[in-house]
Amino acid sequence: MMEFFLANQSVFDFFLLTLGFSYSQQIVLRSGVFSLASAAFAALGSYGCAYLVMRSGMPVALGIVFGALIGAAAGYLTSVPLARLRGVYQAIATLALVEVTVAVALYAEPITGGAVGFNGIPKSIGTWQLLLAIFGVGYVLYAMSHSRIGRGFDALRQDEYVAASLGVSSRSQHTLAFIASGLIGGLFGALQSMYSYSIEPHQFGFGFMVSTLAAIVLGGRRTLMGPVVGSAIVILLPEIARPLAEYRQIVVGAVLVIVVIYAPQGLADTFIAWLSHRKTDASAKTAAHEITGGSNGHA
Amino acid sequence: MFAQQVLNGLISGAVYALFALGFNLIFGVQKVLNLAHGAIFMTGAFVSYYAVVAGLPLWLAMLVAMAVCAVLSVLLDRFGFQLLRKYSVADAEFGALVISIGVGQVLTSVAQKASETKVLSFPFGTFPVEFYRGMGLRISLLQVTIAALVAVLVVCLAYFLKKTSFGRQVRAVAINPRASALLGINGGSVFMLTFGVAGALAAMAGVLIALSFNSIQFLMGEPYMLKAFVVVVLGGLGNLGGAVLASLLLGVAQAMSAAYLPPGLSDILIYATLFVVLIFKPNGLFGGAVAPAGVGRQ
Repeated sequence: MMEFFLANQSVFDFFLLTLGFSYSQQIVLRSGVFSLASAAFAALGSYGCAYLVMRSGMPVALGIVFGALIGAAAGYLTSVPLARLRGVYQAIATLALVEVTVAVALYAEPITGGAVGFNGIPKSIGTWQLLLAIFGVGYVLYAMSHSRIGRGFDALRQDEYVAASLGVSSRSQHTLAFIASGLIGGLFGALQSMYSYSIEPHQFGFGFMVSTLAAIVLGGRRTLMGPVVGSAIVILLPEIARPLAEYRQIVVGAVLVIVVIYAPQGLADTFIAWLSHRKTDASAKTAAHEITGGSNGHA
Repeated sequence: MFAQQVLNGLISGAVYALFALGFNLIFGVQKVLNLAHGAIFMTGAFVSYYAVVAGLPLWLAMLVAMAVCAVLSVLLDRFGFQLLRKYSVADAEFGALVISIGVGQVLTSVAQKASETKVLSFPFGTFPVEFYRGMGLRISLLQVTIAALVAVLVVCLAYFLKKTSFGRQVRAVAINPRASALLGINGGSVFMLTFGVAGALAAMAGVLIALSFNSIQFLMGEPYMLKAFVVVVLGGLGNLGGAVLASLLLGVAQAMSAAYLPPGLSDILIYATLFVVLIFKPNGLFGGAVAPAGVGRQ
């Protein structure tokens, strides 16, 4: 078991990073915002942290905190203009934001290193730090989703007007979702820069967006387990489908299309919903049985 | 020099218009962001290339490419977007984006396999290389052909949408699908037609771009896809006249920035403009309340 784990440790690390990015993507989608800006937040956190650590000699831990804060600030700033837009318009605006970020990273060579990016970053992040970050983020998200905030997100996603009539402020909830998305994106961006020796602009472009979206599509937008399943599939599919390596992209594309048509809530979410339906069905049945069976009164 | 840049910009803007019109038509009618449009454009260029290599004359190869892409586009709608109609608006919006990304990825990978990741180019002499000079300007036969083709197509499309009965049906479905269904308009055939037209236009843009740069490769769709976003937002989502104007504007702006600005800066400016316009004038620079961008979801 341990040997297997060690042999696949880098796969596991990449899984954790992808999972972090998909949480950043999930939280905005969950609140009903069609934002694809996670790539931009990750890029900002990543570059911010790398710059602070490499150029101004900041300690790594502090650099990572600053990376996360930069992401959160970017999330807040993005939320202000985006409050005016909905649906596909948000998708286009955030896509433009990602393109601007990549273009700036390419252009501002003295600061960002241009197309080469940052190289020779000392590797100071290992599996356990990544795990710690995932558990920290996971706990906060869990607490959030079982509070008023999470229920507000769910209501907003399903119907903004109904949510507003029930006293959920879309403005403040969306701002909160953006800040959380930026914070998580920035944090994992910073972790990635300290994990992977080098960063360059194109790793935060269209491909990044597709893989986090794929994790959400395969997993789901609602539950905490969704992105875990989704990221696992995204990371493992190429490993499992190695005989199909040449046709990997085709397989991934086709899987996305099929899942979105037949299980638009995501595989994990659909399964969880099915399980909880079954549970409620079962308890309803026992309850009915207890009533008809004339049990001793507390049915 | 300046006038020459304007001319070159207008010609490349004309090709952007061809690409963006189809993308915009689909958005206007179906409210779907078709991210596979770039891949269909690329497929058009590939099909025409293989048709020319197989010995067909160029005009026939172009027609074949247009037919293939029209069919592909209709299939994408029929077996992709249409199947999402039964879900809620938010799910359908998200699903459509993902489906189009998935289909785009499949098409791109197939093209990568077919071309073995090489850059292809048309055999020499596929299109005669001729230049005309006058008033200090230089224009190639290809550029003249592109300008003429695009002008004719845009006029035809405008005539079709404004003056024919079927065009009125398309516009009715774009405004309100349910009301138009109640009035006896067959939504299915309208969707099929718009996707067919959009696919054919994308294929034609693909062939023209392949001819003007004489290079065809599997990733050629992506930059045009991003340009289409810019065009469509500047011109107004679903506003076809605005899209043509915005394409020409973008073409000229790009030619200018390539000539007078440091490389790399033009992308930043273009996408920053897109972002700003989307926030302050989400319905496009040319006004018109085509589709409200700021209302909440139901």
